[in-house]
Amino acid sequence: MNLRVSKSLIGWIFILLATILISLFYFYPMLQAFILSFKSGMGASLQFVGLDNYIRLFNDPVALIAIRNTFIYLIFQVPLMIIIAMFFSVLLNSPNLKFKGFFRTAIFLPSVISLVAYSVIFKYLFSTDGLVNEFLLSISIISEPIEWLMDPFWAKVVIIIAITWRWTGYNMIFYLAGLQNVDHSVYEAARIDGANVVQQFFYITIPMLKPIILFTAITSTIGTLQLFDEPMNITMGGPGNETLTISQYIYNLSFEYTPDFGYAAAVSFIIVVLTVIFSIIQFKLGGERD
Amino acid sequence: MKKWFLLFSTVLLIMALSACSSESGSNSGAEGNSNTDSITAWAWDPLFNVAALELAEKQYTQENKDFNLKIIENAQSDIVQKLNTGLSSGTMNGMPNIVLIEDYRAQSFLKSYPNAFYDMSDYINEEDFADYKIPPTSLGGKQYGVPFDTGVTGLYVRTDYLEEAGYTPEDLTNITWEEFIEIGKDITKKTGKKMISLNPNEPDHLRFMVQTAGEWFTGEDGTTANIGDNEAVKNAMRVYKEMLEEDIAHINTDWSSRIASFNSGEVVTVATGNWMTPSIKAEESQSGKWKVVPVPKLSVEGAKNASNLGGSSFYVLNIPGKEKAAEFLADTFGNDVELYQKLVSEIGAIGTYLPALEGEAFNQKDEFFGGQKVTTDFVNWMREIPRVNYGMHTYAAMDILTGELQNYRTGKKLEEVLNDAQKQAEAQLN
Repeated sequence: MNLRVSKSLIGWIFILLATILISLFYFYPMLQAFILSFKSGMGASLQFVGLDNYIRLFNDPVALIAIRNTFIYLIFQVPLMIIIAMFFSVLLNSPNLKFKGFFRTAIFLPSVISLVAYSVIFKYLFSTDGLVNEFLLSISIISEPIEWLMDPFWAKVVIIIAITWRWTGYNMIFYLAGLQNVDHSVYEAARIDGANVVQQFFYITIPMLKPIILFTAITSTIGTLQLFDEPMNITMGGPGNETLTISQYIYNLSFEYTPDFGYAAAVSFIIVVLTVIFSIIQFKLGGERD
Repeated sequence: MKKWFLLFSTVLLIMALSACSSESGSNSGAEGNSNTDSITAWAWDPLFNVAALELAEKQYTQENKDFNLKIIENAQSDIVQKLNTGLSSGTMNGMPNIVLIEDYRAQSFLKSYPNAFYDMSDYINEEDFADYKIPPTSLGGKQYGVPFDTGVTGLYVRTDYLEEAGYTPEDLTNITWEEFIEIGKDITKKTGKKMISLNPNEPDHLRFMVQTAGEWFTGEDGTTANIGDNEAVKNAMRVYKEMLEEDIAHINTDWSSRIASFNSGEVVTVATGNWMTPSIKAEESQSGKWKVVPVPKLSVEGAKNASNLGGSSFYVLNIPGKEKAAEFLADTFGNDVELYQKLVSEIGAIGTYLPALEGEAFNQKDEFFGGQKVTTDFVNWMREIPRVNYGMHTYAAMDILTGELQNYRTGKKLEEVLNDAQKQAEAQLN
């Protein structure tokens, strides 16, 4: 009895510090931000306005454009990246591949680069007289330079290419780890039963990786919902508001325009709501058999 | 062997870490203003604003030996962010005594954080400064800012290209933007050079175009959206689109490609604030090929061939040390005629303190501009700049217009563009 109490007491003490820190630096600010989202006003002169901020949000064309853009990134970029990451990881896991370490490092390397640094480089690569246009012109794929950053469609494409380049390697590592946990005998058995490579991939690899796919899908979705550095540095949200994301709009509301932290907090809760909704959907889809 | 290597690298690492931390430690110590003996100032641009403050300090300490100014250089966006987070948190800890704020943003700070800034009315005489600088830097009859540099605009022209097409700089002097486009079409046809470089994603040209007419995106109160029925905005949008459509505009995507457009000789003119002069002169091979003429105006009644783009002013925060900081600013930027001579001759900064805007430094012929007295001309145009209240929402309004400009270019009617912008602004600006 005494032993049990002291044991559980020790357990509580161990998690106490982490709990206090998390409550202080995560939950308390979250609560404050939530209260803030019911206030409005310039700078330090905030007043309670009830649900006004949330009503304003649904009538604010810029906020809606930002949400739309974020969805576009989400719908195209997350599946694209997950497929590419899975493809690379399967290739890199192949026992016949030489220089595995080199390729693994090469593909993972982008994820250790600072977001701002790589964004600036992408901006230069895709500028009208940048390297990408020069290259496409020189091999005669296009006859006139593409206005990558000035065209609403291409600007989104650039952002998607950039994020995919940056994060594919990161997700690949998770798949690689997952694949290394798959027992070789499973594949061997499948081969003996006459399954070809494609069948092995769809009937063994994917089901085995399912929890990891779920994990990467959720983290990538959250990451994309919070997308900030790339549009900020590559396109500044332009042309017009065509690449503006929710996070960047929050930044603009707080620091670019006359600050309205209350409304900015309300917009940020949209990200929270969306994240929760998407995570629930993904859990339902991914977890149906477990 | 391996052990020694490990030990060695550990020692190295510790040294590197401690070096880093001590450096950042001293930095953070310098940023806060713990003792009132030294005055802290935040400013951006080491070659311009920071250099100006250093000059001012040098002048001031000749008579006030114990005065000590700490200048912290930060990017402008960082200053804006730090001020906003600091002031809205309610504590003034770590805030500087003196801060430089861009005129477009000043009203937003003054109104958002009442009592955060120190009233300078008793220290400087607002009538000593260029008229157009007063509305952005004052609030409720009180003068908060000490006006600093001017963003008086001019049209930099390549005389050699003009000559090639059969024009002289006089043909571009005191013209409207419509005339500019007509001449531009001809010059572009004859020389193959684009007339102007624009970035439709950052259409800062719209700002000074609208100011030539004495108008702004918000009304005189600084908050009411004034876009839908604003002839000046309408005109500026039309001109901007026409320049893109008539193919007389080179398109740049960022600052460096904008600079490159004239340094490489791709464009015939540059319409912008006088602070561009150093960048234009950076290409020494083009010496003697440039001239500056007044910026074109909108064809709206009352419009003048003078406008402003950018420019900033100094503010004193309402914290201990404010009197000292205010006296420093008043004695230097608010009074010192000699300082303004040095500002021009040493860093090329044109101030807005009227009693000091003459004298030898302002009368120098500049060989780069074919012997033109550029500074004299800029000062003369500065006196003409229409007085405008930039209000609270310059950048929010610009973002709305940038978005609508995009729609306008892809075929939306101008009336709809302006009406939609007005509606959006009414919803967003309050």
